[in-house]
Amino acid sequence: MLCEECNTNEAKFAVTMNINGETCLRHLCPDCMRAMNASLQGGNVAGMLSAILSAITSRNGATPRSSGVKQPQEPIPDITCPKCGTTFASFRKTGRLGCPGCYEAFRKELQPMLQQIHGRVQHAGRRPLESEEAQRTRSRQEELTRLMQQAVLLEDFETAALLRDQIHALATEGGAEA
Amino acid sequence: MNHPTVLSSRIRLARNYEDLPFDARQPGVSETVISRTANALALSGEDKGFRLLTVASLDAAQRSALAESHLISKDLLNSPDGAVLLREEDAVSVMMAEEDHLRIQAITPGLSLDESARRCFQVEDALSRNVRFAFDPQLGYLTSFPTDTGTGMRASLLMHLPMLAHHKQMGSVAQIAAKVGLTARGFYGEGSEALGDVFLVSNQVTLGRTEAEIIATVTALGEQLTGMEHDLRDHALREQRLATEDRVGRAWGILTHARLLPLREFYSLWSSLRLGALLGLIPVSLDRLDRLPVEAQEGHLRGGADPLPEGESLDAARSRRIRALLKAS
Ligand SMILES: [Zn+2]
Ligand SMILES: [Zn+2]
Repeated sequence: MLCEECNTNEAKFAVTMNINGETCLRHLCPDCMRAMNASLQGGNVAGMLSAILSAITSRNGATPRSSGVKQPQEPIPDITCPKCGTTFASFRKTGRLGCPGCYEAFRKELQPMLQQIHGRVQHAGRRPLESEEAQRTRSRQEELTRLMQQAVLLEDFETAALLRDQIHALATEGGAEA
Repeated sequence: MNHPTVLSSRIRLARNYEDLPFDARQPGVSETVISRTANALALSGEDKGFRLLTVASLDAAQRSALAESHLISKDLLNSPDGAVLLREEDAVSVMMAEEDHLRIQAITPGLSLDESARRCFQVEDALSRNVRFAFDPQLGYLTSFPTDTGTGMRASLLMHLPMLAHHKQMGSVAQIAAKVGLTARGFYGEGSEALGDVFLVSNQVTLGRTEAEIIATVTALGEQLTGMEHDLRDHALREQRLATEDRVGRAWGILTHARLLPLREFYSLWSSLRLGALLGLIPVSLDRLDRLPVEAQEGHLRGGADPLPEGESLDAARSRRIRALLKAS
């Protein structure tokens, strides 16, 4: 096995480091081992590394993931995506799906894999519909603003005031949604 | 303006059309993806500044230069049917017929993932007024690899970490990053190499976290690593001043006087030089230094304003280009 740091020399040492209760296993060559130990005496690098872990985990409550969850060896189910003809077996070989429909066809089989990769299996974040609505509101607002500026230029202050009220109404609507 | 450790921030969004197979090499797929995307952007009225470039229409030097500037991915480079809608002025690109139908990407300088994300979402919003992306309420945006599904978003920081690399700590950093759903790996070079001590820090997990959470986590790691580099730099100046000055001075000497400069050697010297600039040991601005890794690559040496004279080797051209860029500072 090659040294993880220089990728050149043979790794002669397997060092276990305990960082904030998390174990790191390092495979190092004598040269890199010496460089790492020298720095550990000078600056407190291990202490800094544990600070990283707590700084990241404290944000957004991101929990450290349990690593090395072994999946039981089950026979590969014989399923084919009706939309594109990709088989589950070929996906297992390449890691790539054939079409968006594959997610529906293999939904049950994909769950444990997604759980293992991401740690969660429920989407959070942007959705197409929301962004479309937000987009529509924004472009309507932009159009009304343009019309209002035009009206002001033409000294049609009555229309301008009307448009201004409409822009306000749109903005508060959007605000209430968010 | 320039950040001491974060060279740039990058957001990439994977999006796919719900009615097409992922594989763009299947007949008709890439043509449909390209024309549908270009039309949708034009219809939205937000296509100002975008140019449509097909991979096939670019020569080898132009293609490499775009990849070296990170405006297109290496994967797109290898997709002969692919194309990109490129807004060069602020480094926004919509890569088409890559591994996914679309990869919407924005690169911004320094630690600025929020800004790169804002630019990506603006393009995505413009497109989604006229097209429908494959989406599932449970699994989010559907992508050709299940490793990207959910937000379909990769948030990355390109970081220069010479002191952590010097102290052989990047292996530990990578293992810690993996425990919180992030990765940290070498950016330049082959396999697990990290030429120039440049690392890419990204999120690995895309499902079950919002875009804001992902950006906050990557940013947190970026800030922590920046703090560690800062402390180790202080330590080097305090405890190993002579050795550090020697390293920087040697790099400066070779880069300003060599006549043949292989790429690998360039990266390693550049890293020392940039460290020297951060420590105030040499009077070169980061702004200038941060352009060198891009300018030193083959596509930029062959193409561009100052093309390679016939018969000149790449190593000779590289040393000439680097000397000129350092002299001008
Ligand atoms: Zn080593
Ligand atoms: Zn399918």
